[in-house]
Amino acid sequence: KVKVMQKKMPESDPAEEAEFDREYRALMQESIDSRKLEMRSRPTLNMTIPLNLFDSKDHGRGGGTDIESGDEVVDDQTSGTSVQFRVLVKKGNKQQTKQLRIPRDCSLVQSTKQKEAAELEE
Amino acid sequence: EEGGDEESLEYSKRHLPEHACKYCGIHNPACIMRCNVPTCRKWFCNSRGNTSGSHIVNHLVRAKHKEVCLHKDSPLGETILECYNCGCRNVFLLGFIPAKSESVVVLLCREPCLSVNGLKDMNWDLSQWLPLIDDRCFLDWLVKVPSEQEQLRARQISAQQINKVEELWKTNPEATLEDLEKPGVDDEPQPVALKYEDAYQYQNVFGPLVKLEADYDKMMKESQSKDNITVRWDVGLNKKRVAYFVFPKEDNELRLVPGDELRLRYPGDGTHSGWQSVGHVIKLTAQEEVALELRASQGVPIDVNHNFSVDFVWKSTSFDRMQVAMKTFAVDETSVSGYIYHRLLGHEVEMQTVRNTLPRRFGAPGLPELNASQVYAVKSVLQKPVSLIQGPPGTGKTVTSAAIVYHLAKQGQGQVLVCAPSNVAVDQLAEKISATGLKVVRLCAKSREAVSSPVEHLTLHYQVRHLDTTDKSELHKLQLLKDELGELSSADEKKYKSLKRATEREISQSADVICCTCVGAGDPRLANFRFRQVLVDESTQATEPECLIPLVLGAKQLVLVGDHCQLGPVIMCKKAARAGLAQSLFERLVLLGVKPIRLQVQYRMHPSLSEFPSNSFYEGTLQNGVTTSDRLLSQIDFPWPVPNRPMFFYVQMGQEEISASGTSYLNRGEAGNVEKIVTTFLKSGVVPAQIGVITPYEGQRAYIVNNMARNGSLRQQLYKEIEVASVDSFQGREKDFIILSCVRSNEHQGIGFLNDPRRLNVALTRARYGIVILGNPKVLSKQPLWNTLLTHYKEHEVLVEGSLNNLKQSMVQFQKPKKVYN
Ligand SMILES: [Zn+2]
Ligand SMILES: [Zn+2]
Ligand SMILES: [Zn+2]
Repeated sequence: KVKVMQKKMPESDPAEEAEFDREYRALMQESIDSRKLEMRSRPTLNMTIPLNLFDSKDHGRGGGTDIESGDEVVDDQTSGTSVQFRVLVKKGNKQQTKQLRIPRDCSLVQSTKQKEAAELEE
Repeated sequence: EEGGDEESLEYSKRHLPEHACKYCGIHNPACIMRCNVPTCRKWFCNSRGNTSGSHIVNHLVRAKHKEVCLHKDSPLGETILECYNCGCRNVFLLGFIPAKSESVVVLLCREPCLSVNGLKDMNWDLSQWLPLIDDRCFLDWLVKVPSEQEQLRARQISAQQINKVEELWKTNPEATLEDLEKPGVDDEPQPVALKYEDAYQYQNVFGPLVKLEADYDKMMKESQSKDNITVRWDVGLNKKRVAYFVFPKEDNELRLVPGDELRLRYPGDGTHSGWQSVGHVIKLTAQEEVALELRASQGVPIDVNHNFSVDFVWKSTSFDRMQVAMKTFAVDETSVSGYIYHRLLGHEVEMQTVRNTLPRRFGAPGLPELNASQVYAVKSVLQKPVSLIQGPPGTGKTVTSAAIVYHLAKQGQGQVLVCAPSNVAVDQLAEKISATGLKVVRLCAKSREAVSSPVEHLTLHYQVRHLDTTDKSELHKLQLLKDELGELSSADEKKYKSLKRATEREISQSADVICCTCVGAGDPRLANFRFRQVLVDESTQATEPECLIPLVLGAKQLVLVGDHCQLGPVIMCKKAARAGLAQSLFERLVLLGVKPIRLQVQYRMHPSLSEFPSNSFYEGTLQNGVTTSDRLLSQIDFPWPVPNRPMFFYVQMGQEEISASGTSYLNRGEAGNVEKIVTTFLKSGVVPAQIGVITPYEGQRAYIVNNMARNGSLRQQLYKEIEVASVDSFQGREKDFIILSCVRSNEHQGIGFLNDPRRLNVALTRARYGIVILGNPKVLSKQPLWNTLLTHYKEHEVLVEGSLNNLKQSMVQFQKPKKVYN
């Protein structure tokens, strides 16, 4: 492994950074505002989890096929633990799931795990 | 045909893939996203570099674009990120929510879907909504942040550059970062630096310099057309037609070399129609005749001898290969090891050693015993990934290099690549390496295959032809047919070429060592070869981009051999030279603090001759491996002013003149005395091959040659055999006796070429037994180094004047040296 002792980077310019920050916030605000005005009629949520979700394991991509959703895996690169999740997406009108590893300490995982634990205790 | 074949094979595949980050070039599919705005569709990575947001976020914000798509090879596959519920694709509004009881997540927009009421009965935990972009960076488990290694090897782009290029894209979506650097037509190019942020910056600096030099070279060579050329005809052993003619040259340093391509034209007359053919220079005779082997033998007007014209056919190959090498260096992270990458760019890298079992002996079979400094050089090179060896004149650079290559090849790291900028140096080294018993293949440019070489048996084309063909192989048969008929049917030609290519490949692959010029390392025939160990000899005579060509074939261990105290690469374009193209990689590494290992024992010069160069150029470290008696030719009777000191400075007061061509200088007085000295040497028993006459000016060179022929009292042939040439063409070579004619004798002008200390060093270190310098001390003493040299000669009582058979010490006054000189 090569260890570069001093990584000399071009100086970052505080003025540039401040300007970027302003633009970023402006874009964010504009995004929110535009949606607020546009979406007069609130849509209804139609986000049921498909029934077939958990019996088709090789449905998604990535991750080993032996790993089930909710399983913990040790990531080789970061040596942190991550949890196998499924991402629900729409392909046209069809629902589809894809596998994705989310780090153990991510708030999304925390929430699910706590609920699971709570349910187990009941 | 031949050119076309080469071009189609030319390795054009080293491009960044389309999905590379438009800012930094990172192209790991897990780390990148595509902007999904139809007019944009550019890819960016999720690293921040040195900016406050990741590259993709920077782009989205600057361009006001809001949609992205993942790469097909990313964990989620080709996916446009959108709200699962309403299809909103604005990434600034999107975030993940988890299901309450399952390990499932979904993307949901913040406005309006997240704020819809009445979700109590749902399976989803809206309170855990996690925005897709966190801290100006996409969630790193969705789109990975490139590793530190990847980021270090990527192009380092600043926020200012991002702003500029985003501005440029608004009017020209195809613009690249290189467009930001493009100098205006009349601007001075950006000068070379000591350190570079990354290989892209490196390419941005050197690319335009190589282009300048290429343009200049093209302009120069294409303007070299000569008319009224007289030709004599011959037929070569290979039955090809050869034209011999004199190609007049000037001081512009354009020297024809074997392999150059010329076009010979005949305008036509009453009985002949117009004719022209291209050919390769196969040799330059001692009589300064060019031998041109014509490509086509049909229709050559061999009954005509006069009124031909010659044009130079300029080829961009060598410059193209430099550009390709720089590009490969930037975009292909396997082109050189990470360590070499950072060292070449001048980054501070933790020292590395190469773990190798060292051999018990550092010499090699078939080579002379090594001395202590040579052993030390071999030993340290084997343990370091990057080393510099400085070989002052006569210190056994080639033997040391050959020993290093021998040990590198024995380490089982695959084939070793050995290069040098000049063919002469490659041949010398190939011969020495072959003497150790290693299997050597000398790869020559196709245009040089007809040029005779001292190591012909090692060349690839020779080995292909002389393959052990007891079974009368198809290739052999076709070769015989081709030799007999001159050409083959197109089907046979196709078969011949593919068989030849396969055989070339087979032979090259079985070699331990491949030797070629630096430019030759870019030959398509090596395109799929990888070389972990690379040695570049004479590396101080190569430009950086030239030196890079052999390195980007996978170098992990690099040895640069050379001497930065001798002449550097020749750069014709003044603009490019001023910007620093003439500085070699070896020199830059020295400036960066890489300490060259110096070979310290010289075996060439009489100890009296090495004294001044050692003190002036090598801090007095040069030791003598030869003694005074080793360098004494007792049978030679020459009037050295001090008998044990075979050197003198012969004071000349004759005037310089502008030569007939108007572009050069000559000095009749000096030329007359050169002839007298040569005649005295010849009379005393020295043979012509032992003598070299060095003069920096073409005008003087031509005048000396003519004057010796006209006034020399001995047989004409003897004078004809004496080599009279520029300092530059003597670099890397030696003669027993050297006569140096300085020419310049003008009180008010500079001393031109002789101002360069490195040129003076080369001139002074060519002689083994004796040296005579002719010049005007009054003029030369103004330059500090020449002043020291003159003082040295004076102190040793060898600054003399008078007639050759009655030399007396000169009392001529020196001028005070100017502190600053150009
Ligand atoms: Zn865009
Ligand atoms: Zn990037
Ligand atoms: Zn939505």
